[in-house]
Amino acid sequence: MTANADTLRPPLVTGDKSLGDVTRDVCAPLERRPTGSWWAALAVSSTMLLVGFIAVWYQIATGIGTWGLNKTVGWAFDITNFVFWVGIGHAGTLISAVLFLFRQRWRTAVNRSAEAMTLFAVTCAGIFPLIHMGRPWLFYWMLPYPNTRGSLWVNFKSPLIWDFFAISTYFLVSLVFWYLGLLPDLASIRDRSKGLRRKIFSLVCLGWNGSARTWHRYETVYMLLAGLATPLVFSVHTIVSMDFATSVIPGWHTTIFPPYFVAGAIFSGLAMVLTLMIIARKVMSLENYVTVNHVDKMCKLMLSMGCLVGLAYATEFFMAFFSGNVYEQFVFKNRAKGPFSWAYWTMVTCNVVIPQVLWLKRVRTNLAFVFVIAIFVNIGMWFERFVIIVTSLHRDFLPSSWAGYAPTIIEILTFLGTFGLFFTCFLIFCRFVPVIAIAEVKGVLPAEKREQDDVVERSQEVAA
Amino acid sequence: MKPSNTPSSDRLTTLLYVTATVGAALLAVGAFVAPDRIWSNLLVASYYLVTLSLGALLFIALAYVSGAGWSVAFRRVPEAMASLLPVTGLAVVAVVAVRLKDYAWHPRGPHSGDNFWFKDWWLEPRWILTRAIVCVLLWIVFAKLIVGISRYAGPHSGTRSLTSNVRLSAVFLVVVGLSFSCVSIDWLMALEPMWFSTMWAVYQFSGMVMATLAAIVVLCLMLRQQGVLKGIFTDDHLHDLGKLLLGFSCFWMYIWFSQYMLIWYSNIPEETSWFITRTHGPWLPVFVANIIVNWAVPFLVLLPRPAKRNPGVMMKVAVLILVARWIDLYLVVFPKTVGSTPVFGLWEIAAITCGIGLFGLLFFRQFDSASSVPSSDPYLNESLHHHC
Repeated sequence: MTANADTLRPPLVTGDKSLGDVTRDVCAPLERRPTGSWWAALAVSSTMLLVGFIAVWYQIATGIGTWGLNKTVGWAFDITNFVFWVGIGHAGTLISAVLFLFRQRWRTAVNRSAEAMTLFAVTCAGIFPLIHMGRPWLFYWMLPYPNTRGSLWVNFKSPLIWDFFAISTYFLVSLVFWYLGLLPDLASIRDRSKGLRRKIFSLVCLGWNGSARTWHRYETVYMLLAGLATPLVFSVHTIVSMDFATSVIPGWHTTIFPPYFVAGAIFSGLAMVLTLMIIARKVMSLENYVTVNHVDKMCKLMLSMGCLVGLAYATEFFMAFFSGNVYEQFVFKNRAKGPFSWAYWTMVTCNVVIPQVLWLKRVRTNLAFVFVIAIFVNIGMWFERFVIIVTSLHRDFLPSSWAGYAPTIIEILTFLGTFGLFFTCFLIFCRFVPVIAIAEVKGVLPAEKREQDDVVERSQEVAA
Repeated sequence: MKPSNTPSSDRLTTLLYVTATVGAALLAVGAFVAPDRIWSNLLVASYYLVTLSLGALLFIALAYVSGAGWSVAFRRVPEAMASLLPVTGLAVVAVVAVRLKDYAWHPRGPHSGDNFWFKDWWLEPRWILTRAIVCVLLWIVFAKLIVGISRYAGPHSGTRSLTSNVRLSAVFLVVVGLSFSCVSIDWLMALEPMWFSTMWAVYQFSGMVMATLAAIVVLCLMLRQQGVLKGIFTDDHLHDLGKLLLGFSCFWMYIWFSQYMLIWYSNIPEETSWFITRTHGPWLPVFVANIIVNWAVPFLVLLPRPAKRNPGVMMKVAVLILVARWIDLYLVVFPKTVGSTPVFGLWEIAAITCGIGLFGLLFFRQFDSASSVPSSDPYLNESLHHHC
């Protein structure tokens, strides 16, 4: 019976690794010189970042008239990109906090990198509303503090201000959670390095000494933060959805938006984690830690989120017709058959149709296939936001004010720039921080490995 | 040891017989005296029970699909609940069928017109009935298959039956997503056919899962007390069920609030109608109490760790949540079918006792008809030694 259960639960770390091997393998990429491919990737991503920077500089200097918005379509590319990036960030918190509470031990292979992606993605997201404010240097007016600006005070009833609170809280908690999880690993790097590097890592690991008491405190705080971060996973995208759903615009105002947006966010986040980790595990020789088994599990999660999103699309369509509301009906007919129907059907194909192949185990365990599907999901989820935002706006109540929308080159370059920022940050992260949580992976090694290695390493220390 | 062998379970069986019989007799009388109220009560009760059995099957399916091992030791409990689907399903279809006219919104009514072609078609009485029958049949088939495979797995077929049940469960999750969305809209939301909310099915889903978890807690604790699951259903299982209960109580509140807040904020007359009936006049206290018992109390009580490991506390909270689920459904059905004032009297008590008695009797009979532990499940060992 036990033998049976063992075959059903494949090992999370393959290659017969010992405790020492884990540290060596994960730290190896940080301790050798960067490879040519890393430099090449950095060159591309930082060029994109530079282009984006120039675009942002230009539009702040000139004004957001450089965007393709018009009186009817007042929100388009910017908010689409904002929601897209916030969504990407969600897998990080899902994997690090929610799966931690559910005791999903496989999360240890990907939680570090997913959390890092959260931070970078939220940073990318923040850029868009910041520019949209028109005067980004006054962004702190969003903070409700007693001020000398007379009666100028934030509107607490506006979901846009809730958004500001939700996302800044999310970013801070994610940052603290990520950094806290890093402490034991930073100490491991400190112990392996010399000179200036050692000094820096001594400082950033906050004097971690690996004692039982330190571990106890660490685990208590980790648990508490996981508990606190879990409502945040829901709250952030819930509030993003309320930016739309509190309005009275058909296609925006619908009650299913909060859970539907959360499911979509997790969906897109998992797709991005898969996209990056399938490459990273290969390039950084971490195949024994991020195994096919892990990819399989993430694919199952992605498939279930894709189905949930599909159910939400169907529910929206159903309710538009069930309600008998002509305006609702028009918006949904317009989505499927109007001038933006190509975007709608791209969304449905990428998010609902293509992921269905993940029902097959052969596909879930074929990394090339999974990579392609993850890219499709990334594209589909971008289009989902575009469809929701633009198709609900562009054909207004008055046919005389109907308009189209196309992004300008400035908008496209800004979006490209955020990809540059995201990938640049990720590449730097891969060089300076262990991409896999060393201490946590050690915890999921088989028990006999953990004990045996302790003895060996201690005897080596004594000998030294 | 079977529950029927112990004196305490004998007393329980007798008590369940009595409540079921008395409840049924009263309902039969009531059907002539106050048909509207009896029908509303039967709708609440049958929907309540069918979602308990469907929720139990969902619990089993989710455990299979996610590769969960912890819940295997007490899986016979949700399995017995799911085996009641033929009875509870038939009951709800019968209740809906006798009053199809209550769902038939008038196609040539004042709001009718071209825009309502879809509603005309969707709420056509025969079509409502067809959907109900198809959905319930699908659930019954999946319950028979999944529970059957689990119950009759031979001592050496553990892994093979596990694989077939994982596959069936995955398909069932898709089926339940679509079918439950349909019937929760048909049976409850369509009582007020001019009102609509895309959140409805999610809202009903959250209530279903919460009540199912509470029922599993109550039944497992009862069976443990009787000695059947002694040493099998441990405090660690209770603790994990407590966490899920806490989580789903919060999920229910999240969904409830999102629906309410968005309708309140946008303030569109077609949408607010549902809440206006329930937040004005004598329904308001019930409306507020619903939130307190479904979320505020369970949340505060279940937050500390020791509470989730304490059988006494867990029993009380689970019973409270089962009561809360009834209030939640009462608040959905009664303002439309019975009237502007909340009523609670003999007919409500009759339906509740009849429901509890019948469900309890059938549950224990189902539970007794199979071994009390799925002994050939490969995860059983893991579950028996589960620590959280």
